[in-house]
Amino acid sequence: MTSRRDFLKVAGAGAGLVLGFHLEAKPRPGETAKTVFHPNAFLAIRPDGTAQVTVPKTEMGQGVRTALPLAVAEELDLDWSKVEVVTGQPGPDFKSMQTGGSTSVSTTWTPLRKAGAAAREMLKAAAAARWKVEAAQCRTEKGFVLGPDGKKLGYGDLAEAAAKLPVPKDAPLKKAADYRLVGKRTPRFDGPAIVTGKAIFGLDVRRPGQRFAAVLRCAVIGGQPKAWDEAKAKAVQGVKAVVKVPTGLAVIADSTWAAFKGRDALAATTTWEEGAARDFSSPALEAKMRAALTGPADDARREGDPAKALAAAAKVLEAEYSFPYQAHATVEPMNATTALSEGAAEMWMGSQSPNRAQERAATALGLKPEQLKLNVALIGGGFGRRLGTDFSTEAAQVAQAAGGGPIQVVWDREDDLRHDLHHPATLHRLKAGIDGAGALAAWTHRIAGPAVLRSWTGGQKAPSQAATETNGAYDIPYAIPAVAVDFAEVEAPTPLGWWRGIQIVPNVFARECFLDEVAHALGKDPLRFRLDLLGDRGIVKFGRDEADIRRLKKVLEVAATKAGWGRKLPAGHGLGLACHAYDGRTYAAEVAEVSVVKGRLKVHKVTCAVDCGLAVNPAGLEAQVEGGIAFGLSALFSQITWEKGRTVQTGYHDFPVLRLADMPVVETHVIPSAEAPSGMGEPPVPVAIPAVLNAVFAATEKRIRKVPIEDGLI
Amino acid sequence: MAEYTLSVNGQSYTVEASPDMPLLWVLRDRIKLTGTKFGCGQGLCGACTVHLGGEAVRSCVTPVSDVGTKRITTIEGLDPHGTHPLQKAWIEVDVAQCGYCQTGQIMTAAALLAKHPKPTDRDIDQAMGENVCRCGTYLRIREAIHRAAGQRKEVAP
Repeated sequence: MTSRRDFLKVAGAGAGLVLGFHLEAKPRPGETAKTVFHPNAFLAIRPDGTAQVTVPKTEMGQGVRTALPLAVAEELDLDWSKVEVVTGQPGPDFKSMQTGGSTSVSTTWTPLRKAGAAAREMLKAAAAARWKVEAAQCRTEKGFVLGPDGKKLGYGDLAEAAAKLPVPKDAPLKKAADYRLVGKRTPRFDGPAIVTGKAIFGLDVRRPGQRFAAVLRCAVIGGQPKAWDEAKAKAVQGVKAVVKVPTGLAVIADSTWAAFKGRDALAATTTWEEGAARDFSSPALEAKMRAALTGPADDARREGDPAKALAAAAKVLEAEYSFPYQAHATVEPMNATTALSEGAAEMWMGSQSPNRAQERAATALGLKPEQLKLNVALIGGGFGRRLGTDFSTEAAQVAQAAGGGPIQVVWDREDDLRHDLHHPATLHRLKAGIDGAGALAAWTHRIAGPAVLRSWTGGQKAPSQAATETNGAYDIPYAIPAVAVDFAEVEAPTPLGWWRGIQIVPNVFARECFLDEVAHALGKDPLRFRLDLLGDRGIVKFGRDEADIRRLKKVLEVAATKAGWGRKLPAGHGLGLACHAYDGRTYAAEVAEVSVVKGRLKVHKVTCAVDCGLAVNPAGLEAQVEGGIAFGLSALFSQITWEKGRTVQTGYHDFPVLRLADMPVVETHVIPSAEAPSGMGEPPVPVAIPAVLNAVFAATEKRIRKVPIEDGLI
Repeated sequence: MAEYTLSVNGQSYTVEASPDMPLLWVLRDRIKLTGTKFGCGQGLCGACTVHLGGEAVRSCVTPVSDVGTKRITTIEGLDPHGTHPLQKAWIEVDVAQCGYCQTGQIMTAAALLAKHPKPTDRDIDQAMGENVCRCGTYLRIREAIHRAAGQRKEVAP
């Protein structure tokens, strides 16, 4: 069984990313297929010189429709103002568009550059042939090939000739010193469309004759309607039909509003078979998790003899940390639009898993994947939610049950929170053994909770489950002689999914806060304590991962220095810090400055240092740091809880997300690096929570071990 | 169903809708102006913000029967060329991430600037406090509003 990360690695290197596959770049008026230079799936140059770059990943705000085209444009020396960006479609050209795990840049960076470089060599060869000179005498600049004696031809003029040439293998890639676009700040490609309301998200799709549907689902997980009176729904003006689908009852109408109203009218008449999950509740789960803290578990990492070291310790510290279920709460609710015809289907949606969505919807419709054309729209917030295919398969089923479509299935906010693929709660028990010399000699971290990975493996227990569920904990980077990190799975009926920062968020929260406790118990400065424990080491292997401790130390030192670690603070203020090597690929450290007045936490500033290798687009990178910190801080105050098999929370009123007035100043420091680029979508998230809570301790001497902060008050 | 004649972005539209249909769905499903977004349907996230008679309102909780003859302005009509100072500032500051909430943010900010041409941070906190951005673009939203107001630097409250 592949783990999520393995899957993403394989996916990223999928065969769709090699030269030679051709996605149709449709000729426009005045063009023919022959006059468009379309050397690979990523690129088409039109006679007018515009370059269409097709992005093999889904845009959800993380900036792939800017950063990935930059890789092509750099190697090809495109004029950025003449670049048009389109999103690919799942199929032979793009066999794995899966967008998650902060892997989009790292997995496409080389193939996209190679695609650009090959095209550049072909354009040079075409120009050289026309001028009867050697290709080596030509160079490229901003959409032109330049030859000897001031010769100059635009790419558009060369497109037809270049299209007839063979695609070269191993075209040379530029040296980083020669980059003109990569490493410079490039504003988001979709910015102008977004600010004028022209950007099309999934929910904005409007097809001729389109109808709208809302689905009445049982609030209890897995429940089914037993009896209902569809006449009540049909009495609502605009309602056309009520159909049964596997997830519930779909109300089809001529407007979204009528669909919602019809669904509510139907709900009043419906009785439910609530099923086995009806007794599920958060307190009951918590009791099971607490019991699991001392029961059997699967090892993720075991070094030295932790039991012996703890027994021999002069002092043992112990603490329990708790993190709740969380929701994605994307502002654009789930939706997908489906149109069926004889033996074929077309869908429009925002999906982080376009290929999976295509396969599963096609299967549900009795079609082959290639019979279902899936158009990937912009995503109004992903955060892992749209890696799921529940909403897309359901939309296909609604269209089929309703006899064709086009039908747009629209979730409302309550649907979104109740039927999210939630991130599960965990309980953590940590122990630290201090030896007679005052050194940290043993560290154990037991994590108990439901396993997210099963949501990805069809319910199977993967061999990598313990490592995946303890990610952020098993790879604790500090040099400690005896370490044990294990996972005790607790069953829960809740559908789960990946969430921005995944298990690393709760695990690094517990790890970095408890380490802070140990530092304070030993009377040591938390920065000095960490730097000493990181020690003078290079690349260190942790199970399937490895991390460069020097890079982690560097971000920690830079964040601390820039934040003025150790400086005198205003009364009631505190500084706290945390760091992590995310999957061993991206290094992040944050220092938070907070104050607590009458129990109210105010986060004034977060100073962040990151090392993600080469920063392809520093503007997009900084935006991810700001957004990642906001996402982390938001989780300090939100939770999903369960009662009688259903979520207690139903909207933004009881699942609060961070608001403008609570956003701290964020100062980002990017460590210059020539290493291969990694990702930045998730790494800033996990360190934000412990940095803030460690700062709360510094300000108040109160240790917060439970998220969310109760009643929002310290 | 009843018939309503609405003035949207200076154009007159006659639509059929039930009286309780929120303006949001009249705009999106009847008139097919999709720049105004659906986020919560409860007036809690601000994604659906439009101007009604110059005031910022949550179109998801504004029944079409309450609109009357008031002028409706949506993001599509904020500026004929899409170059309102806020739209320009939004691009200059590179505010958007996913972008979904941004049209509502801009419409709320435009109503703020109409009343307070030189807003303080506190004015911004109050006016923008009910507009959710899950991507966390808040710092840039603040900066872009100041920039559109001709204030290059943040102003202390």
